[in-house]
Amino acid sequence: MTGAIELRIPNDPPFHGVARLVVGGLAARHNLSFEELEDLQLALVTVLEGDDYAAAAEVCVELEVSDDAIAMAIGPLHGDVVRADLEASSGDVLGLGRLLATLVEDAGVEAREDGDWLRLSKRVRGIKPAEANA
Amino acid sequence: MPEERKDKELLRRYHERGDTDAREQLIERYLPLVRSLARRYSYRGEQLEDLVQVGCIGLIKAIDRFDIDRGVELTTYATPNIIGEIKRHFRDKGWSIRVPRGLQELNVKLSHLVDELTVQLERSPTIPELAKAADVEEEDVLEALESGQAYATLSLSAPGGGDDDSDLDPLESLGTLEHEYEVSEDRAVLAPGLAALDERERRILHLRFFEGLTQSQIAQQVGISQMHVSRLIRRSVEKMRAEIATEEEPRRASESRR
Repeated sequence: MTGAIELRIPNDPPFHGVARLVVGGLAARHNLSFEELEDLQLALVTVLEGDDYAAAAEVCVELEVSDDAIAMAIGPLHGDVVRADLEASSGDVLGLGRLLATLVEDAGVEAREDGDWLRLSKRVRGIKPAEANA
Repeated sequence: MPEERKDKELLRRYHERGDTDAREQLIERYLPLVRSLARRYSYRGEQLEDLVQVGCIGLIKAIDRFDIDRGVELTTYATPNIIGEIKRHFRDKGWSIRVPRGLQELNVKLSHLVDELTVQLERSPTIPELAKAADVEEEDVLEALESGQAYATLSLSAPGGGDDDSDLDPLESLGTLEHEYEVSEDRAVLAPGLAALDERERRILHLRFFEGLTQSQIAQQVGISQMHVSRLIRRSVEKMRAEIATEEEPRRASESRR
């Protein structure tokens, strides 16, 4: 990811707040709305705290901003578990798939050298750096 | 021998004859209950094993204080003791997770500002807009929002701060009367983990994830602030996750014994 923010944290709940704050900082710089920020943070924490998702003691979160979207990648994860949860929670089941379908526009597992990563993409309203608004 | 009779026999052996082996057996028999209850609180930032240890203290106290002539099952007596011990543990640690007063006040102020600006701007406000309206730095806004998250997650039976938060914990929610629901919501209620939620939490999740309403639309419909909707959504998702983990625990335990 060119120009992306990369955050590596221990896979431990007290550190998940750090990841939330980083997403918050990015949202502030790019004029995301409170609701868009909330959606991104909830999507991130849902994945970070998912049972049996993380494949290592450390988890990495990558964030990349484009003109109209924020992409977020989280890994390395147990791709088979995440895929199963994404597929299982359709219809009336409120699981990972249903949550992410509401919170972001796109979610999918991609294979990388160090394992599987979950890639999320959220379209946001008119991103522009906060300084440009002054 | 039925489980209750076995419990009674062990309790008699311990209380009447001082048989410590019987006490050990009782502790072992009730460990799955401790683990199950501890799991419900493990998403609040504490390690599950630490909470199981704390819960065991509550279990031992319950076994030691149990009055065999009162005609109550040990499960009934032990459950509030175990939960009480876990809650005490969180209360005792409160000093290390307490949010500074200034941040608490800013969080409450932001809660009002989010609603006001949403009406005024006819869209959800940005962080810089919130910072300007609150006359603070953007970093302060982010920190206050994060502290609100920590407060909602770590507070147990304490009020969630802000508006009309009624924070039901797992024990208090037992036996809560459920009111009639629309058919579509009934179906959603059947989903794993949703049984752990109270009626309002289920309704809010339904509106957000099945009806596709935004937080501000839900806030209007339910009559609470947008920030409160946000807190309830986060907490409900955490509770569901804990409930699902609790439901899966016996299956995992039996699989690991094979």
